[in-house]
Amino acid sequence: MCHDKIDGSAMKILLFVLLLILLPAVLCAQPDYIEVTAPGNRQLRLAIDSPRPLDLPANLETAKLVSDIIAFDMNMSGVVKAEGRSRQSVTGNLSLVDVDFVPWLSDGFDLLVRSEYSLKGERLTVEFRLFDVINRKMLTAKRYLGAAKDMRRFSHSFADEILRVITGEKGAFTTRIAYVSAQTGNKEIYVMDWDGNNPLPLTKNGSINLNPDFSPDGREIIFTSYKRGNPDLYRRSLSNPAEVALSNRKGLNITGIWSPDGSKIALSLSKDGDAEIYTLDKDGSHPTRLTINPALDLYPAWSPNGKQIAFVSDRLGKPQIFVMNVDGSNVRRLTTNGNYNVNPRWSPKGDKIAYSRMTDGGFNIFTVAADGSSDTQLTYDGNNENPSWSADARFICFSSKRNSGNGLYVMRADGSGQTRVTQGKMSYFQPVWSAH
Amino acid sequence: MKKSMVAFLTGISIAALLAGGCANKEAVKKEEAIVPVAAVEQAKPVEQAKPIEQAKPVEEVKPVQEVAVPMATPVAQQPAESVSRFETVYFDFDKSDLRQDARDVLSKNAELILKSMPGAKIQIAGHCDERGSAEYNLALGEHRAKSVQKYLTTLGVKAENLSIISYGKEKPAVNGNDEAAWAKNRRAEFVVVK
Repeated sequence: MCHDKIDGSAMKILLFVLLLILLPAVLCAQPDYIEVTAPGNRQLRLAIDSPRPLDLPANLETAKLVSDIIAFDMNMSGVVKAEGRSRQSVTGNLSLVDVDFVPWLSDGFDLLVRSEYSLKGERLTVEFRLFDVINRKMLTAKRYLGAAKDMRRFSHSFADEILRVITGEKGAFTTRIAYVSAQTGNKEIYVMDWDGNNPLPLTKNGSINLNPDFSPDGREIIFTSYKRGNPDLYRRSLSNPAEVALSNRKGLNITGIWSPDGSKIALSLSKDGDAEIYTLDKDGSHPTRLTINPALDLYPAWSPNGKQIAFVSDRLGKPQIFVMNVDGSNVRRLTTNGNYNVNPRWSPKGDKIAYSRMTDGGFNIFTVAADGSSDTQLTYDGNNENPSWSADARFICFSSKRNSGNGLYVMRADGSGQTRVTQGKMSYFQPVWSAH
Repeated sequence: MKKSMVAFLTGISIAALLAGGCANKEAVKKEEAIVPVAAVEQAKPVEQAKPIEQAKPVEEVKPVQEVAVPMATPVAQQPAESVSRFETVYFDFDKSDLRQDARDVLSKNAELILKSMPGAKIQIAGHCDERGSAEYNLALGEHRAKSVQKYLTTLGVKAENLSIISYGKEKPAVNGNDEAAWAKNRRAEFVVVK
């Protein structure tokens, strides 16, 4: 009796252990995406054929827009080498079904995007298809309905889908970046598409506005403003200009950041004497103090699971990055190289923390593993600050002053592909990337 | 036999859990000795405190990369009188403790407050130079204003008449990116608010 019982539970443990060992292997062996690989180490080549208009006359601008957006997104990803090619005849029928792969194959392409669109007044319908040129088959298709102005968004969205098909992970090309610019003479908050298009002013108060952060649903931002004299934290929707003071406590109300689940806001308050890290409920109530230290503590950054917070503190003399549990316990130093490390931002995947380090030559962006290992410098040119991760952790956006042009730049998480995305000649500051 | 079986399974479970990526290693803890900065301060040549008029951008060359930096404007819309009557206090890089020249200036400012405007409400605005991160400088500027506030109260100025604010590096007194400009921007200014 007793014997059987023990054997039974032992068997259960054994099965459980086997499951633990085998489950990841099973999951890895059956990807939910189609693996597309080029022979050898050659990079895959993607052709984007001109979109075919279903209504004449054709809109050449629209056609170029679609090709340019998908090519830019896919080239930035580094996963494929993409280019726009015009081969589709304007009046051909069934272009999405009967594809002649031979000319694409002979030009050395592995993948092909084709699309059709209909623009009636303001009503836009667009359908995209991705083909595997070598195996002559369709990999994915998407159809979008919307207004004429949505063509950009739809193109970015299909680029997300291409990335999902190729890598198994959806892209973040439909996300946006909020930032600070002083183009009016005052620092105001703006928002733009991730690729720098559609810049839109949010604040227009003529004061100093700093450090925007998106809510996890991307519909609201918080930021610090001096518009009523004191550096207070405000919250507003992207679609409604009404600004609500979320924290106007005495002293600093700065470097606010939404928790990953949107329920809390971490920030630095100096109401009790010097800058300390607090969390607030999302309505600004119930301040909970996390750091107790006579030094300056600021710039909190949540881990994606919401259990830890990285922050800047000069408790050892110079600003360094520390990590603590979300209740303020278990404080440990993260960065051990360099003597001025600031701006921590946790990767959405949780494995790395991006930050900026000041040396004699100015600031550069680094990443470090969450356990403090693998400290890696990503930028070398000019002055680079305030890194922010894309939702898919593939890219880092940062502000840069460099000879090739000041602005907001985007690079891959390994530092490659550094590309300026802002178009103006102003200085831009404190970019922050929205979640999906 | 049974026990060894259970122990064996437990062993496998632990091994599996470890292999399963419980990579929660503790971050490196490294304590650095904090260098006492006050001693270093004293050894530095005492810089003459400059009245604020001299600190205004007159012949400063505007660097090309600084086009978008907000123009140097006096803190708030203050009457010219209050600007001229108080002297500005200057700091060393990344420091908020008061140099000897700063203490001299504060003694004069305290005397002015106590003799001529005992009930005036005065705001001390802390500022930083353009180096360092904008966010850290907000906190540093506040620390500077606080040092000034604390020192003035030791000289007899009523604490309730003194408020502080920090502008970090957002409102430089002068544009420029050399030590001459930086030295003029690391400061605490006095504004009569009432």
